[in-house]
Amino acid sequence: MAKPIKTVQTVVTAVDEPARGVKRLVLADPDDWELPPFRPGAHIDLHLAKGLVRTYSLCNEPTDNRRYEIAVKCEADGRGGSRFVHEELRVGTALGVSLPRGGLKTHDQALNVFIAGGIGVTPFVSAIRDLREKGRTNYVLHWASSGHPVLPGMVADAFADGHVHLYNTAIEPRPSLAAILKQYGDEAGAFCCGPTSMLDAFDAATASWPAERKHVERFTPPAFARDDNAAPYTLVLAQSKKEIVVRPEIGLVGALEELEADVSVSCAGGICGSCRTRWLEGPPIHNDSVLSPMQRQHEVMVCVAGCAGPRLVLDI
Amino acid sequence: MNVQPTSMQQVKPTWSGVVRYLHATPRAFLPMKSFNELTLVAGRGIEGDRYMIGQEAGFYSHKPEEGRQVTLFEMETLEAIERDAKIKLLPHEHRRNVTVEGVPLNHLVGRRFWLGATLLEATRLSFPCRHIEEILEKPVFDPLIHRSGLNCKILVGGVVRVGDIVRPE
Repeated sequence: MAKPIKTVQTVVTAVDEPARGVKRLVLADPDDWELPPFRPGAHIDLHLAKGLVRTYSLCNEPTDNRRYEIAVKCEADGRGGSRFVHEELRVGTALGVSLPRGGLKTHDQALNVFIAGGIGVTPFVSAIRDLREKGRTNYVLHWASSGHPVLPGMVADAFADGHVHLYNTAIEPRPSLAAILKQYGDEAGAFCCGPTSMLDAFDAATASWPAERKHVERFTPPAFARDDNAAPYTLVLAQSKKEIVVRPEIGLVGALEELEADVSVSCAGGICGSCRTRWLEGPPIHNDSVLSPMQRQHEVMVCVAGCAGPRLVLDI
Repeated sequence: MNVQPTSMQQVKPTWSGVVRYLHATPRAFLPMKSFNELTLVAGRGIEGDRYMIGQEAGFYSHKPEEGRQVTLFEMETLEAIERDAKIKLLPHEHRRNVTVEGVPLNHLVGRRFWLGATLLEATRLSFPCRHIEEILEKPVFDPLIHRSGLNCKILVGGVVRVGDIVRPE
């Protein structure tokens, strides 16, 4: 049987190195079909290799809907994702990516204040391109880098129009985010993306701001099929004698996939009955709309189920 | 009270509908593209679509099903979802191939009907899936339950065009 398709299938169509240690990649559909849409500054997961999934912001504007453009700084001491991107990806490489998630909701009238640290500028490149395309000039970018900024060419028009303020933290103190934000008054919206220390400073500087005026760009997980408050439990497959800890971020379906279990998930919403499975120990938390109370004593729709105990044993 | 059924002889279906939109996409997750005509191949699927048998690239292609050769959806459901759930679902967003008007899709399971010059046989009702919520970022799963369209196999192939008549066999 063919394997399930879990990602958007793309191919690398361009690679360049606009700054030392930073690679820019363009991904497209193999037949140049339109790609799934995205908001300005949204992010995608790159499925680089088995177990190696990394998230990067899109740099292009949403109307540029046949390309996903990303910029990746090589982190020599990182966990291996950026090194893989730099060393293994080249024009023609096939790459599965997630649907785009998140993104920035910029303000139509109020000033949009973007605060970036280093390569954290990437979502704002997308947002600035989007605003400029709409003919809007209500934005300013404050961009701190240790040394030269990595991608100035990607926002060259914004530079030319005087919308960018640079800070070189190699030779000057880190900018005071509170002081920056104070000058724009009570109407501006502020957005921040950068290292943790910068995000913390931004959180502190905007602690009293209403939520709709501030946005910290953190990569968000997929929106459905997870309950972050669920307790981890052990999934045991009785017949195949496999087991795995089910963490909230992967869920029962993700755990079954990791074990390559023979369960057919279809609607993923507990209504079609495709993934009906016998259980031996649990009890499961049933969230389906299919099984009767009597059936639930022995069976479970795994696509929406959880577990009320420490172990869920399925008869497969 | 002694209630008698009306005559049990089969009632001739009297409906007649029309093709309003045609859509296809070559791979899972990609946006559906609108076409003025689609070519249906008997026993296989739609040329250029992700569920064409032999060129499977759809989200469910790992679960072969002959009734997925062509899928239909009602215009009336789009109107109902906007009316009842206040969600604007567009014809390219439900991810079925053919949007029809005036065709009682839920009544057609197990029956044959003409879609323009092509003859289809409905195999089952479509189910909504969470996948569509992920793509659209619209909470349409619950509103689509029991009215998510129709899966069909193609008995007689041909070219289907927007504006074609849909009628019982």
